[in-house]
Amino acid sequence: MTRYILLLTLFTYFFTVGQKHSDPTPEHIQQAKKLKSEYPDENIIILNNKEYVSFDKAKKSNKVIVTHKNYEELMNVNHRSDIQKYLYYDGESYINTFKFKYRNKKDAYFDIRDEAVSDDEMFHHDARVKYANVDFPVQGYKYYFESVKTTTDIKYFTSLYFTNKYHTLKKQIKIVVPKWLEIDFKEMNFDGYDIVKKESFDEKQNTKTITYTVNNLTGEFDEKRAPGPSYVYPHLLVLAKSFEKDGEKQLLFNQTKDLYTWYKTLINSMDEKPEELQEKVTELTENATSEEEKIKNIYYWVQDNIRYIAFEDGIAGFKPDESQNVFKKRYGDCKGMANLTKQMLKLAGFDARLTWIGTKRIAYDYSTPSLSVDNHMICTLFKDGKKIFLDGTEKFNSFGEYAERIQGKQVLIENGDNYILAKVPVNAALKNKETYNFNAKIIDDALVGTVSKTYTGESRASFLYHFNTTKKDKREIALNNYLNNDDKNLSVSNIVTSNIENRDKLLSIDYNLAQKNAVSSFDDEIYIDLDYHKEFGKFEFKNRNTDYLFSHKKHLSSTITLEIPDGYKIYETPKEVHADTENYTIDVNFKQTGNKLTYTKKFILKNAVIKTTDFNAWNDIIEKLHSVYQEQLILTKHN
Amino acid sequence: MNYTQKLTLLVIVLFSTFAFAQRKKEPTIQEKIWGKEVLTEITNIPEQWKNESAVYLFRTIDYIYDRPHNSIEYTKISHSRIKLQDQAAVTEFSTFKYPVNNSYYSYGMSKVTNKLTVGVKIIKPDGTEVVIDTEKEVIENEKEKKLAIPNLEKGDIIDYFFYENSIMGENDLYHYSPVENYVNTVYPIMNYKFALTTEKDFFINYSSLNGAPELTRKDIATKNKKDNRREYFFELTNVAKNNSKRWFYPYLELPAYKFQVNFARTGKYEKKAYTFISEDANKIKSTIKKEDIFNFYEDKFRPYGKLGDVQRFLKDKKFSSNEEKIKAVYYYIRHKYFTNYIEALIVDDADIIYPYEYYGKNPIFFNEEKDFIRFFAAFLKEEKIDYEILVGTKRYNGDIDNLLLESNVNFLMKVNTTPALYIESFNHISNVNRINHLLEDTNAYALKVTDRKYIEDIETITFPKSTYQQNNNTEKLVVTISDDFSVATVNKTATYNGHNKLDEQKDRLKFYDYVYEDYKKYGTKPLYEKIKNKKTKAKYKKEFEALIAKMKEKQKEKFKSHSNNEYSFEIDNYDFSIIQTGRYSATEPFEINEQFEITDDLIKRAGKNYVIEAGKLIGNQVEIDEKEKIRDHHIYMGYPRSFNNEISITIPEGYTVAGLEKLNTTVTNSTGGFESSATVNNNTLTITTHKFYANNFEKKENWNKMIDFLEAAYQFTQEKILFKKQ
Repeated sequence: MTRYILLLTLFTYFFTVGQKHSDPTPEHIQQAKKLKSEYPDENIIILNNKEYVSFDKAKKSNKVIVTHKNYEELMNVNHRSDIQKYLYYDGESYINTFKFKYRNKKDAYFDIRDEAVSDDEMFHHDARVKYANVDFPVQGYKYYFESVKTTTDIKYFTSLYFTNKYHTLKKQIKIVVPKWLEIDFKEMNFDGYDIVKKESFDEKQNTKTITYTVNNLTGEFDEKRAPGPSYVYPHLLVLAKSFEKDGEKQLLFNQTKDLYTWYKTLINSMDEKPEELQEKVTELTENATSEEEKIKNIYYWVQDNIRYIAFEDGIAGFKPDESQNVFKKRYGDCKGMANLTKQMLKLAGFDARLTWIGTKRIAYDYSTPSLSVDNHMICTLFKDGKKIFLDGTEKFNSFGEYAERIQGKQVLIENGDNYILAKVPVNAALKNKETYNFNAKIIDDALVGTVSKTYTGESRASFLYHFNTTKKDKREIALNNYLNNDDKNLSVSNIVTSNIENRDKLLSIDYNLAQKNAVSSFDDEIYIDLDYHKEFGKFEFKNRNTDYLFSHKKHLSSTITLEIPDGYKIYETPKEVHADTENYTIDVNFKQTGNKLTYTKKFILKNAVIKTTDFNAWNDIIEKLHSVYQEQLILTKHN
Repeated sequence: MNYTQKLTLLVIVLFSTFAFAQRKKEPTIQEKIWGKEVLTEITNIPEQWKNESAVYLFRTIDYIYDRPHNSIEYTKISHSRIKLQDQAAVTEFSTFKYPVNNSYYSYGMSKVTNKLTVGVKIIKPDGTEVVIDTEKEVIENEKEKKLAIPNLEKGDIIDYFFYENSIMGENDLYHYSPVENYVNTVYPIMNYKFALTTEKDFFINYSSLNGAPELTRKDIATKNKKDNRREYFFELTNVAKNNSKRWFYPYLELPAYKFQVNFARTGKYEKKAYTFISEDANKIKSTIKKEDIFNFYEDKFRPYGKLGDVQRFLKDKKFSSNEEKIKAVYYYIRHKYFTNYIEALIVDDADIIYPYEYYGKNPIFFNEEKDFIRFFAAFLKEEKIDYEILVGTKRYNGDIDNLLLESNVNFLMKVNTTPALYIESFNHISNVNRINHLLEDTNAYALKVTDRKYIEDIETITFPKSTYQQNNNTEKLVVTISDDFSVATVNKTATYNGHNKLDEQKDRLKFYDYVYEDYKKYGTKPLYEKIKNKKTKAKYKKEFEALIAKMKEKQKEKFKSHSNNEYSFEIDNYDFSIIQTGRYSATEPFEINEQFEITDDLIKRAGKNYVIEAGKLIGNQVEIDEKEKIRDHHIYMGYPRSFNNEISITIPEGYTVAGLEKLNTTVTNSTGGFESSATVNNNTLTITTHKFYANNFEKKENWNKMIDFLEAAYQFTQEKILFKKQ
């Protein structure tokens, strides 16, 4: 029944010694308190961060190796902090050093783990992470962190970010460039930061040293729907152009052509057997009555039948899988789908080509040749002098329409030994129009009537995707719950839809709606909460640091028509709301005609973004909108 | 025979064995499973399931317990064939992820080899079979294995199996983990088969539940008849899919099976089995009878414990009754042998110091429920107080008459004072006289103890049940509306009683909320005072205080989000305090006070007047949608319970209230009720509500009655009042 709790005195002894000189000094505690008052939201602050980057020629291969050293002095400014310190690497890199020291520079031993990184988006890739759980037991506690990461091929060393996870008081990046290496560092997002650059030459070593320093750098923002980091944080885009080896110049990515040539080498090494697709292509095209129908049949077949399962392991991250493999497996990544689309279209007699693109998440274009410029592949169809872009990873995408994430982005299209640069067209928000019409009258304290909804463009694609990927037996309930917002106050019946698989035509849903508990009668007055949806009513941006990106441009148009009961009149029509700026239009109107009140709302998000510079004006208009939403429509009895 | 000759002979023997093995190749696992006669000819789905996402053409679950050579071997094969009828199903079966499977370790004196083999093939609509080379296609990292299934399309049939195998060097006695499963899955099943294959020395406890057929025995011919190898199985057809439901205990309604297999090498070891075990390996034990309970537990609860601490605690203390003394001792040992150690566990976990050296050489620690019972029995014996030990099973396992597994048993002590006291093994919030709500009103056995030492008899009893009045939450809200109607400030006091307090205490109390009240109550020393070394002490103090400060920050966030989830509006400027932990008596409530502001959605301007969503102040209520109004299963809830609200709102000067009539409701019936009233006194509007669930179980025929009061409570939350400008 009783048991000894083990007495690990020896362990205790070591532990005590290990921690002996690591407690914060009174000065550190003072400093931590001061920092906490200056940065109340922070728990950890990096007091000092130094990064060193150097380059070496690989002995056994024709590659340039990059060594990236990092030193951080971390301080806990809160009561206690428990953090995870981590560093990613992959098949093209490894971590030589990952260690911690106490403030007295004695080694601090943490359990350092090394694991494959799980990613919901990607089925398999070679990214790994080294990490340790680090505890800072009291305010003012410090650790020194040191890491060395080696990238085995400079091609994959594409950027150097200044911003750390934590607020950093002092940061320095020192890059030592040997004379044999031709390399550019393009300064990105430096505006608004006081980053100081210094250059010096070491004649003896034949090296140039570039040193950047910056003070008081805010940590990374943990914000949803933010633009990609290449838009937000100051960083250096690394453009390794060439190097000299044994007296000969070895080209890296000196210009876009070099990048294309490398990509093309990978494409040329593919063992394509398009004849294996022939039977399917014939089946898809033989009964088509027009060229467009043939293209659609192929493009939609790829969208519907090839599942997105990505293997991005080493070179598979850049080289597409052969079309016959993707066809047989019925799955692939973007490259596999683009290549299959291309090969099938070619078999059907069209000019289709592989196309590299950086999605909206990436700030760069091909003026800076680097592997970080693109992250996606699509297929370009050349038809009647036009270029039409086909993205097999987009589901329920109508031919000729483009997903927000590729619109306006530059593309690199294959063209034999050369390449073509072009841009994906930008669509107006109107293309994604979504409408809602509710003809309501008051019956027994409920708003009752008919609703008609329509969708087009990306609003339609999004609806169709969610509907068609829901289990068959759950679709009816899912549609019902979607229309009644899973709220028992909304009762939906007699739903009639247009063809819910058609991605080209206007999608419409008509139904009867009874909205209970929206009408309250007090004495001779009726108070109505007319608007159920109250779109954007709480969409304020408080304490946000980055632009807010919507999934796509929106054009929402809503009309609620209320029949005013006999013997009643409107006590006061709510105020209208109007705003029209570069990025958005908001229009809210009330109009009475006879015994009908027409309440219209229009929301246009022209560029699918609310910029930080818009926030003040946007919040003002949202506040007005919110007060309209909060206000009750009053009907009073008239004589 | 000299050494060389011996060796030659050995080589020849080995070689011939090898050659023989070569000739008669052992079939692979895939060949064994896919080579078996199964219902492969079925490919069509019956009309009623045409609209399902996927349908199991068949699903078989095989458990096999073998004794190869000097080992015992366990194999579980789950083999399924599913027709995929939509894209969702194709996506669902597109990838398989499973644990990195093969391992080798020691269990006691035995070596254990575990192996998991996965097989997948696809049957295309034209009958073509595509076997996936799982060994080649699989991707493995340290955490998991992943398989992407190629060539999978809508209309395909996917046929897959998981083959789990564990071989253990022979033990004299080994208890395999109990298994409890129900047949239904998220997809309907056309043909289902459960099978259990064993041979000699494996003892089986098994029962089929809720319409799952009884087992059929089929003897399997072996070279040695003594092996007694046999297969037990049942089959089912047309099993409907199971969706998650509110207030539902699947093991009481769905066809299910429970079993446990125990290996015992000889009669000697059977008796040592620490579980219910049949007398004959050749016979399945399907129920545990009163006698089995008696025989098994008869010698397991002998009073045992060092009572020095308890004696010291009792010294010089006077109690008015035995009940009082028992309660005092219970709470004392809860502290002495449990909450007393909590600081140490926290400190160790946060790596502040290594704390265990400060707790003496022989700290008493109860590893399981039985240890506690034996200790408490020792105390009762010492005090010459009679008691009995109650053996029950939780409601969701079914009645005690159907008990099969020792793992489904719970114990409780009944002290035969007047009135009787019920004592359960402790945790930081346990109370004397609290009976686990899942045992309430169930049948159980009472092991009768003679001379406070020997279990000599057993009888059937029923646990008492609590009432909805006892299991009560009362929330009192004082709401003040700002002059400009922009903010409502709420001061809320919540008291939780009976079973209602348990979850709240568990969720909300942090160690510092109860450990220090125990130290104070019992005059014992917290860890800080036990530390002698000055430097360690200083370090401990700093780091421990920092840890608590951090935990308090998190606790506040948690309390706030708790309240946010309770209401349909956002709350702000939140603060809380714990008034009483409710830990020293079953009747003492857990009480907290909260203050917060509501800035949105509660008050809505209407011309000169204001509409107040007063109904929402009672918090979110159960929403029953149209689909849920149809119910095929009985209703199983935790316990009867009630919820009271008292909301006082000061009516702003210059305003009157309209619409109170909607806040006056009464719907009560045999299943429960909802009642509300609203009155104005001077300038204060008082709204009171009372909602109760009369029982912990209702027949499905009573569902409409429940819906009546649930709908009334929901509707109340939708009601508004008007502050009308005079």
